[in-house]
Amino acid sequence: MAHALRDKAAISGIGETAYTRGTTKSGLALQLEASLKAIEDAGLSPRDIDGLIPYFPGGGIAEDFIANLGLPDVALSLFVPMGGATCVAAVQSAAMAVATGVCKHVLISVGRTGYSGARVSTRLQQFPQFALAAEFEAPIGMFAPAQLYAQGARRHMELYGTTARHFAEVAVVTRQHAILNGNVVMNKPLTVEEHHASRMIADPFRLFDCSLESDGGAAIVVSAAERARDLRKPLVSIMGVAEGHPESPASIAQRPDLLEFGLVKAAKRGYAMAGVGPKDIDVAEIYDCFTFTVLRQLEILGFCKTGEGGPFVMDGRIGLGGELPINTHGGLLSQGHVVGLNHVIELTRQLRREAGKAQVKDAELGLVTGYGDMGDGSLAILRRAA
Amino acid sequence: MSTAPAAAPERPMPTPTRESQPYWDGLREGKLMLQHCAACGKVRHYPRPVCPHCFSMESEFKAAPLGGTLHTWTVCHHPFNFFFKAQSPFIVALVDMDAGVRINAPLRGVAESDLKIGQKLTLAFEPVTQETTLPYFTS
Repeated sequence: MAHALRDKAAISGIGETAYTRGTTKSGLALQLEASLKAIEDAGLSPRDIDGLIPYFPGGGIAEDFIANLGLPDVALSLFVPMGGATCVAAVQSAAMAVATGVCKHVLISVGRTGYSGARVSTRLQQFPQFALAAEFEAPIGMFAPAQLYAQGARRHMELYGTTARHFAEVAVVTRQHAILNGNVVMNKPLTVEEHHASRMIADPFRLFDCSLESDGGAAIVVSAAERARDLRKPLVSIMGVAEGHPESPASIAQRPDLLEFGLVKAAKRGYAMAGVGPKDIDVAEIYDCFTFTVLRQLEILGFCKTGEGGPFVMDGRIGLGGELPINTHGGLLSQGHVVGLNHVIELTRQLRREAGKAQVKDAELGLVTGYGDMGDGSLAILRRAA
Repeated sequence: MSTAPAAAPERPMPTPTRESQPYWDGLREGKLMLQHCAACGKVRHYPRPVCPHCFSMESEFKAAPLGGTLHTWTVCHHPFNFFFKAQSPFIVALVDMDAGVRINAPLRGVAESDLKIGQKLTLAFEPVTQETTLPYFTS
């Protein structure tokens, strides 16, 4: 029997601000600007929005949206505090809300001043999910995701022979895709040599293994599938969606297997709900806070076996025209860091065939992941409806 | 308007909780005090109120042996907090303690090129203030 939520909801609208390093706008203003674009893209009025999932913490709360957009009757206000896994996990929450009739149109939004506002080392200390890291690891010098995730990457290298060359391939291919997009922070080509020469941040992560600290806003509208069919754009249906939480979710150090992300659980449920497998996927937008994180997620998603993520990304496989094009917009590594909502937006564009020079030919079915906090995971499988 | 010299950056300090206080008190006394379930005896770290194995809320802290083996590591180059700038780069070792939990702490006296998963390391103690002692590893 088909999953009760399968194909019951759709991504009906998408919107983005310019991605920049430097802005005078607030996180809230960026979020609202992107939201207005997403609502317009769907062919809706702001007054039609009756569910809100803003990114937490930072940027705005339901009250701000009601006041700014004059929303007459909001039926649902949620936070999904899963760091980088938030946006895709929020798609699950939104799909549940519209499929059950609690809401008609749910707005998911992110606005960040990651470059012009608080930087990563101070920002994260305020997250409740980082409380254990703040107590036990910050005093010894471990603050930032780059440091906390580096130990897992190092272990993967030691166990499986994964190399900096593999990491570089992800960075270089992602940059090539970013250049095709236009609305990106990093618009100059990157070579493997430049990657290897970039300064070490937290071994094994060099500067170009790390995602950007940037400013920008992004938003999507999730609507019930039968409503979305009558809206402006081609229907992009939510075929499968899931979130997953790893063991020892707030401490990587205490997790029995450092490389066992929440995505292990989410992928199993997400694929089952969609009734498809990795071989069916035409294009994948993989959460790329770090190059290594992409390799490991490709393994977890079943595109290759554990330990083979490094070799898998080589030889053009993840580029446009390759077997599995990934991060066709430039991702967090090269486009901008809006907590991966730009990944959901890009997949929607691909399936609408609106991706311009980065269009994957005949894309019918795609996958998007989120990865965040200390290893939470989320997955959505979207398809272009007939 | 006078310009005061910038204050020296300070080390971020732990804020012990009601659950974790015995662990930090232990470090100050040169001991690794780990939380054990009073009902089923299993060890857990970081400290928390409920045993995830048997759901007992009774626990006791016991001194644990200081040996362990290297699980993985990172080398911190970018300090992220200016306090750590002077000592960068520094190795942070994640160690499988013989006591059955992991400890993440700086590793001193071992070259980066000599690091190998499984090598034996020993926990040591460094008082950083009157109140707080932090752990580090030696070979």
